[in-house]
Amino acid sequence: MEELLANPYLPPLVMTAAIILVFPLVAGYIVLAERKVLADLQVRLGPMRVGPHGVLQPLADALKLLIKEDIIPAKSDRWIFWLAPVLSTFTALSAFAVLPLSDRFFVADVNIGVLFILAMSSIGALGLILGGWSANSKYSLMGSLRAAAQMVSYEVPLGFATVTGIMCAGTLSMQGIIHAQLDRGVWGAFDNYGLMLVPTVLFIIAATAETNRAPFDLPEAESELVAGFHTEYSGFRWSLFFLAEYAAIVVISSLCVTLFFGGWLRPFPNVAWLETALNTAFPAALFAVIGLGCLRSSPRQVILGFKLVMLALGLAFLAVGALFVVPAVNEAVIGLFWFLFKLAVMVYLFIWYRGTFPRFRYDQLMDVGWRWLIPISMGGLILNAIVQLVARG
Amino acid sequence: MANLIKTFLLTDLLKGLWTTFKNQKPSKVVTEQYPLTRPPVAERYRGAPRLNTHPETAQTLCISCNLCALACPEQLIVVTSERNPKTKRKDLTTFTYDLSRCMFCGLCEDACPVDALELTQDFEMATYTREGQIWDRQMLEEGPLPQRYTH
Amino acid sequence: MPATTQEPAAAPADTFLDSNELVLNMGPQHPSTHGVLRVILKLDGETVLGTDCVIGYLHRGVEKIGENRTYQQFAPYVDRMDYVAAVSNGLGYCMAVEKLLDAEVPARAQCVRVILTELNRVASHLLWLGTHALDIGAITPVFLCFREREEVLKIFENYCGARLTTHAFRIGGLQYETYDTFEKECLAFCDLMGEKVREYHDLLTGNRIWVKRTKGVGILNADDCKTYGVTGPLLRAAGVAWDLRKAQPYCGYENYDFEVPTAESGDTFDRYIVRMQEMRQSCRIIRQAVDALPSGPIKGRVAKVIKPPKGEAYVSIEAPKGELGYYVVSDGSLKPYRVRVRPPSFVNLAALDRMCRGSLVADVVAIIGTIDIVLGEVDR
Repeated sequence: MEELLANPYLPPLVMTAAIILVFPLVAGYIVLAERKVLADLQVRLGPMRVGPHGVLQPLADALKLLIKEDIIPAKSDRWIFWLAPVLSTFTALSAFAVLPLSDRFFVADVNIGVLFILAMSSIGALGLILGGWSANSKYSLMGSLRAAAQMVSYEVPLGFATVTGIMCAGTLSMQGIIHAQLDRGVWGAFDNYGLMLVPTVLFIIAATAETNRAPFDLPEAESELVAGFHTEYSGFRWSLFFLAEYAAIVVISSLCVTLFFGGWLRPFPNVAWLETALNTAFPAALFAVIGLGCLRSSPRQVILGFKLVMLALGLAFLAVGALFVVPAVNEAVIGLFWFLFKLAVMVYLFIWYRGTFPRFRYDQLMDVGWRWLIPISMGGLILNAIVQLVARG
Repeated sequence: MANLIKTFLLTDLLKGLWTTFKNQKPSKVVTEQYPLTRPPVAERYRGAPRLNTHPETAQTLCISCNLCALACPEQLIVVTSERNPKTKRKDLTTFTYDLSRCMFCGLCEDACPVDALELTQDFEMATYTREGQIWDRQMLEEGPLPQRYTH
Repeated sequence: MPATTQEPAAAPADTFLDSNELVLNMGPQHPSTHGVLRVILKLDGETVLGTDCVIGYLHRGVEKIGENRTYQQFAPYVDRMDYVAAVSNGLGYCMAVEKLLDAEVPARAQCVRVILTELNRVASHLLWLGTHALDIGAITPVFLCFREREEVLKIFENYCGARLTTHAFRIGGLQYETYDTFEKECLAFCDLMGEKVREYHDLLTGNRIWVKRTKGVGILNADDCKTYGVTGPLLRAAGVAWDLRKAQPYCGYENYDFEVPTAESGDTFDRYIVRMQEMRQSCRIIRQAVDALPSGPIKGRVAKVIKPPKGEAYVSIEAPKGELGYYVVSDGSLKPYRVRVRPPSFVNLAALDRMCRGSLVADVVAIIGTIDIVLGEVDR
């Protein structure tokens, strides 16, 4: 037993299992958050029926998707049709392996972490292409062709922006990038006298396109291509594509947070007197406010079960908030808190765009990618290189 | 030049983002949670039909004149009556109203000379059968009395 | 195909070796064909070589129904053609029968008719804006537009008891007198719209993606419009200031001070701007009409049983989507001998192929949205 515990492969294995088990649920809740935030942006309420304020909606959705009839179109390429969602999900989840969730929660800290993520997201595009092609539907085919072209085009500016970030940090290791920012005492986004903001903005734009989110959601543009590459998918297979999409969002947002927003570092990591305010008071207050909000909403629910769920949620949030006051616990989870907090802000940004912007047209998308983003990202790289060379010697 | 700067600073996009951001104020939500909060229905709403009865005697107000049946574009009202030998007037025997074909145009209501037939504010008329959509005199007088669901 | 000033981009010569072409069925079950329109697209990659509209999935034979109903009984059916602008349809039909009868409509009824049709115009344009933006991928305006449209529907509900298929007007005038807060609610709505139109402008007009998606897309110039008989905002966006409210005023429109917004190039963006301005002008008319609302009877001298003399009448009005015409023939009996409708959506839809050639699949969706069709009216 002790031998087993001492095994160096145990922590990564446990983490891997945890991510694979927990992430589908997390993705479900990101979907709920998306629906709720979109509803807020659109003066609606969003899901309100399954649990108070729809908090149990993801579970109901998952159940529905699991028991749905699994349809494979008669003239599809069955094997590839089967393979495509698996490939998408597999690659998207693989990229989690190098995500630096905190200074102590991560599966592996490889010295080519950034490269691994980019590689995995590129292979993930293959899933979309295969899925659209194998379904033998014209809408799917057009969606997958768009996906292919878009992924190829936008990986270039994404790559340039990433390279700029790597250059600023001087390493490809995800943990190394964060440590570099800690040493320099400034987030990647504001380094080089603010010039790093250019690749940061470009990264966010290119990342939106890379994950096929609005306003770059052409592969699944529902008003043009019905559902794009996953038109013919249903039930569990479809939910795998969905899972992959949200996994890709989380991965690319994590990459952005790591490269440009200090990963698991708190804001102003080197200003000592902010330590208590940001690391203890802020998370405790945040959870307390959410918890109190739940408690306040509890008596307003009409159904007894909803009251109880809301009450339990409120107490749970309060308890989590209280945990942050305990120094030992705080030290262990504060990195994770900041990483997830920044991730949540990024995901909110993605949803916010989706709620606001119209969709690009196919040729305009290419135009923006090749004629604007790529030259600007190249310019940003060169500019940052010069500034870095001059400033750091 | 100013336009170029605006292009690079994405001001137009930020303006849109700010517009949607402002919408998040909880007071701006317009959703009505229908069975929980019931929408206000206008006084003149043309909903489920009702055959009015005299409030004291509970006698029907209908004089079996058949004008509603004639006015109806879909001819979905059937009125039968028999001559009362005493009063020499027509007494209503049956009154059927086929809601499944009704388009709630209000012409029958307009045609009624004694305000016996009226389209009420009730809008919950769903049933599980087509036959259930054909309302007889009793249903029209008493109303459908639907079960009020709360959720 | 009618002669046009400028020939549409010709499709490449059909050879059996050319395997680039793809025939794509868009609709009748498609999220953005606004109902049950089926468009067969001939594509080369994403470029549209040609389109073919298949209509009739919503055909209910409304004109034939009209021959089997009395004049009053047919009135509710016309609401179900352009159900988004039911009030305008009712107005057109009532005016046609009134012309047959040579009946006078009292001033108060005229004024209320103007208020309600203009409110309906705003509601129709709001629905168009929401769905058009949704087609182009902006998912928020549709909810904002429906929020404002709801205010119009509330006024309709309070006035006549129905929200969508209103049956608000009767031959010879009105059935319902206005309610207590009618004037106040109309003015409040006009004020609200002034504010909200600014919000739509913030969300869409300046937005570079919106401009890119609409500018130069689906151009239909003035000559093409005249060739195809296209009317309404499409014609005005091409620079022709043709509005039946000005050109042949009815219902006392000559007494109101309003402008006919026009634009130059006749592309999707211009049509968007024209419709946005029309909403403002409609509010202007509503304000004037509410201020000038005379007292008096609401129904003219019309017999209970309508039996027009032998003859025929054609009345056309400016519906939100264009010229809406009603041609009613009477043989002197209780029922019309023939009712023919000239629906603006149907005529405007004919120009779809002209506008789509050479554009991309995404543009087809935008163009269908910008024509502002209602399939109930196209198929009748």
